[in-house]
Amino acid sequence: MHRQITPSRPFRTLRAISTLLLTALWHPAAAGTDAGNAAASMFSFSGFGTLGVVHSSENQADFSANIFQANGAGYSRQWSPDVDSRIGAQVIATVSPKLSGVLQIVSEQNFDGTYWPRVEWANIQYQFTPDFGVRLGRSILPGFLFSDTRLVGYTYPWVRPPVELYCLNPVDTNDGIDISYRLQAGDLVDMIQGNYGYSKTKLPNNDGTVRAKNSWGFTNTAEYGPLTLLLSFEASHLSATAIDPLFDAFRQFGPQGIAIANQYDDDNKLVAIEDVGASYDSGHWLVVGEWSHANTHSFLGDQTAWYASSGYRLGKFMPYLTYADVSAIGNSSPGLNLMGLSPGAAAYGAGLNAGLNSVLETIADQKTVSAGARWDFAKNVDLKLQVDHTRLGVGSSGTSINVQPGFIPGGTVNLFSAAIDFVW
Amino acid sequence: MVRRSHIVRANRFVWCAVLGLALNLAVGPAIADVVAVVSAKSVVTTLTKAQLTDIFLGKVNRFPNGAQAVPIDQPEGSAARDEFYAKFAGKSASQIKAFWSKIIFTGRGQPPKEVADSLEMKKRINENPSAIGYIEENMVDDSVKVVLQQL
Repeated sequence: MHRQITPSRPFRTLRAISTLLLTALWHPAAAGTDAGNAAASMFSFSGFGTLGVVHSSENQADFSANIFQANGAGYSRQWSPDVDSRIGAQVIATVSPKLSGVLQIVSEQNFDGTYWPRVEWANIQYQFTPDFGVRLGRSILPGFLFSDTRLVGYTYPWVRPPVELYCLNPVDTNDGIDISYRLQAGDLVDMIQGNYGYSKTKLPNNDGTVRAKNSWGFTNTAEYGPLTLLLSFEASHLSATAIDPLFDAFRQFGPQGIAIANQYDDDNKLVAIEDVGASYDSGHWLVVGEWSHANTHSFLGDQTAWYASSGYRLGKFMPYLTYADVSAIGNSSPGLNLMGLSPGAAAYGAGLNAGLNSVLETIADQKTVSAGARWDFAKNVDLKLQVDHTRLGVGSSGTSINVQPGFIPGGTVNLFSAAIDFVW
Repeated sequence: MVRRSHIVRANRFVWCAVLGLALNLAVGPAIADVVAVVSAKSVVTTLTKAQLTDIFLGKVNRFPNGAQAVPIDQPEGSAARDEFYAKFAGKSASQIKAFWSKIIFTGRGQPPKEVADSLEMKKRINENPSAIGYIEENMVDDSVKVVLQQL
């Protein structure tokens, strides 16, 4: 009971912000005419979107860039528009140079397969000085180089940020507070940002909800001319109770079963994610590299990921190459020791061991080589084509979702993706 | 012999100049040099490329002397704007748009306000000593002061 009451107050605040900004979003003309020029210039409207299609060579599992989507390319559809397609609309209300608010609404495939829009950003920002600001409400954590604009395809060269690294953070929304401070020394601009809050995200296939409580972290972004360096740390207490019945069954086996259940269940477990990212953008050459480690202390895994990517701009074309790798520690378990158990209990225990290992198999372990190109063919619109060749780790189904019984872990998967990104 | 090589060199120079002029005429006003300007009343006299770029990309909001800086852009798609960013920031229109999209869609800020053309730019700069903008070199007059031009 207590747990449900606490989030309701910030939620109400969020709803109040949303209603206020939504009114402005749906009546931009009214804001302009009724309240005169002051109100018209107070609101600024913008939007973004991607129309994408993905084909996968695998037909016993779906490729998806996001575990919170219902399906993707492969098993569910040979050519899937659901992986990358989305549309977002945003309004920023600038009340004064110090006080502003943002509301961003995004429609993309949800956990239930619908495209019902959700609130991605909704916060009020107060700048005490031009370099020191506080935001209250919903924001997206900036822990990775491209995490807070990962939905805006126009802002990066690839069809999508490498899934090997970007799948590490199970929760990237923060309902709470974030504080940022910007420092300058000559040509060096450094921004340090701290956050505290909670979040709640629904999973597909009635797998329940992922809740993150007491989330806190910091991100430091240093920019020096064409160089950017990011360092971040995020910690939270995560609960994902979808497979709790499996762990309850393990607990019936006494101390050894309880130990396994406690090791792998996800009830208020500490998740810690560290990230180091760097990019160099000279105008012609773009070189990006990022490394991250995430330990969930649960069946969601202990993984390390990195990628390196480089592109070269030839006028409106930018061909690029990327190598990405995610490796998992402990994506299999010996499970219960069945020695000395009655035949019935041993058979039941063997079933549980198999069940646990099929869950651990879903911890991503894979390597991908990607080649693609971005073409800025018209104002504020780009076209991207990309091919990915992925080799799955031994016993892993990689980042795939909707894995079918006929799926053979540890193979290779080829993807072809095409996307048109736009901003306005 | 010495004289002959001088003539060859002079000839080459003339040809280069003629060719350069022809290219200039062929491309027309699009290649007219764009210069960064502030109000004639501003105390700012000169800026480096990095200082200018930081102001237009919203990384700083003050001139090096501490005075407030208000950047003003020409319209999206205008030749002056594309040349300004290509020359001083080394970035294309789409790179600049991608840069601002990262800031806009994280609610962190807004790009500079826009004016219709260089005439309006001069008017706005003349009205506001904090303003900084860019115009074609041949549009420069007493109301504005050039703080950076292409070398």
